Amino acid sequence: MSAITSPGHGSGPASPVPAGLGQLDAGRFDPKRTEGAGLADTVRSLRTALLLGWRIESNWTDPTLFVIYTVAKPVASLLLLVVMIQIIGGSASDATRTFVILGSALWATVIAGIQGPAWSVLDDRERYRMLKYVAVSPSRLLVTLVGRGGARLAAGAMGTAVALLFSVIILGLRIDLGAVQWPYLLVVLVLGIVPVIAIGVVLAAICLQTRQESWSYPDALAGAMFLVTGVVFPLAVLPDPIEVLGLLNPITWWVDGVRRAIVPSGPSSIGGQGSLWTAVTGTSAPDGLQVIAALLLTGALVTLAATAIFRSSERRARDQGLLDRTTGS
Amino acid sequence: MSVDTGSALPPAISVAGLRRVYETKPQPVVALAGVDLEVRPGEFFGLLGPNGAGKTTLIKILTTLLLPTSGEARIFGFDVSTESNRIRRIMNMVAGGEQSGYGILTVREQLWMFTQFYGLEAREGWRRVDELIEAVGMGDQRLQRVSTLSTGQRQKMNMARGLLNDPWILFLDEPTLGLDVAAARGIRDLVLAWKAAVPGRTVLLTTHYMAEADELCERIAIVDHGRILAIGTPDELKKRVQRESIFRLEVDHLDGGAPSLARLPGVVSASLAADSDPEQQRVAVNLVLTEDAALGAVVSALGGLGSQILALRKSEPTLEDVFVELVGRGFSEETEPPVPVGAEA
Repeated sequence: MSAITSPGHGSGPASPVPAGLGQLDAGRFDPKRTEGAGLADTVRSLRTALLLGWRIESNWTDPTLFVIYTVAKPVASLLLLVVMIQIIGGSASDATRTFVILGSALWATVIAGIQGPAWSVLDDRERYRMLKYVAVSPSRLLVTLVGRGGARLAAGAMGTAVALLFSVIILGLRIDLGAVQWPYLLVVLVLGIVPVIAIGVVLAAICLQTRQESWSYPDALAGAMFLVTGVVFPLAVLPDPIEVLGLLNPITWWVDGVRRAIVPSGPSSIGGQGSLWTAVTGTSAPDGLQVIAALLLTGALVTLAATAIFRSSERRARDQGLLDRTTGS
Repeated sequence: MSVDTGSALPPAISVAGLRRVYETKPQPVVALAGVDLEVRPGEFFGLLGPNGAGKTTLIKILTTLLLPTSGEARIFGFDVSTESNRIRRIMNMVAGGEQSGYGILTVREQLWMFTQFYGLEAREGWRRVDELIEAVGMGDQRLQRVSTLSTGQRQKMNMARGLLNDPWILFLDEPTLGLDVAAARGIRDLVLAWKAAVPGRTVLLTTHYMAEADELCERIAIVDHGRILAIGTPDELKKRVQRESIFRLEVDHLDGGAPSLARLPGVVSASLAADSDPEQQRVAVNLVLTEDAALGAVVSALGGLGSQILALRKSEPTLEDVFVELVGRGFSEETEPPVPVGAEA
């Protein structure tokens, strides 16, 4: 392609051109400008989306209320479950209480990560009316949604930390810090971030297509997953087909891995009497490496599927004109 | 300044046989019924038409927000359907009539965020943002939260966002919709200043404000029911309906009244205007001439009658006249229902 050339501002009209209206480049139509910087652009977009997500998360009201919200919600959920266990189970063992408390506290992170990308679609489309401007920027929508989801997941992790602290101080949760498998915990935590956000991306893909009542979808899916991922009770109590769904879900392995790292001697949500795991493998529960391998495998599958589903959804949204269609929901 | 539009340089916009059908119920609706259009680099091009004409659908396709049903659209040679990532780096868009923006961010933060989405280095982004904030006259609001901006200020901020990546082509979709007179003037002046600053910058404006299109655009396409009815400069379009020359003449007195002028060669008609006030020595006459040259005979005759000319003004047809001529109804009149598939011919 040829070029549009400009002799520059010096030989232009007498009135000075404000700097902001001048050129960013040499004034030529250079096709290279359409190519971008590849990975560097992706990293920049991801970082910016994380920052934006954090600002939205931490500024949705004022800092005091943010802290209250971050503390109150996970702690309230936790208390509800613990009280239920006390009432129903009576003399529930420490191991059971620890199992439930850890799972419930972790769920604050999971649900935030799942909701993040989906709510970003809805916020940007319905509330801020900015989705179309992000969509027509060179930044990939998927990358910005992952960044926004990451920010919400970080806010959720704060809730988890607060809930755990509350459990130790108020509910008497006993965690032997010396027994915690810190390297293993770190590996599992990191490996879990991607699939959690990937599930959120699937929800975001659905929200791109739907017009009304979309705000309730993330909660609905999270509620369903709460039951099948071994958060508060082992998979063995579920019907076999549902148990299979749980075993295919990376969140199941993530929650179990984190529990295993914090309380190595605690019960597993995956194996045990009557579980599919025990029936198939003949072992009482998966070991640490098996948990990581399963987390990696299911996480990779979910992430690949989420990427494909989102791309398909984005294409359909462009085809149907949904990217800038506000629904008033 | 000069623009070297070398022979290999592709058109800023090239559209051929573009159709867009919305699959609505009870029957699909044709928003674009086969549009052909070419906009040269450096042009200020307008799409003028009533609500529902297809302007916004066309701009959505060109800005890669919407896929066409069939046909082809290219921006500087890049296909909107398959090369959207390339197009997005050299174009930008601003729409009017909406309250968009991340309300919790400051003006400066919101703009900087978009510099990052457009791939500028962080420091370069801040510099660019500060320059643009000054250029759009929002220096006092730079640290203000977006949620606290007035409608006009918010649209200025959106304009700044639209200029962040120094686009080669800027799409403006009703950019002054809902703004007061002063704010709309500010936006128009800004767009003109931006375009004039660097040759080769291209603007596509959609509007249903005819005066705005007339003032800003070098060429205009009149759109209705998904079709382009006419393309040309504002003068060319007006000449389509201007078959006679129309003047308004004011004199201090006119012996013999308007009929004394109506008899002159080249004068089609001469009639006294309703606001004539002979007692105040101001007689206004509406003159219709076969051509401008016939005015000479009128001026000579007035000299012979001893009349002194107080004012003489040529009445120009408006773009609305053009629209009425082309469509058979006014801009503000109720539009016909959208065209169902199969009935667009």
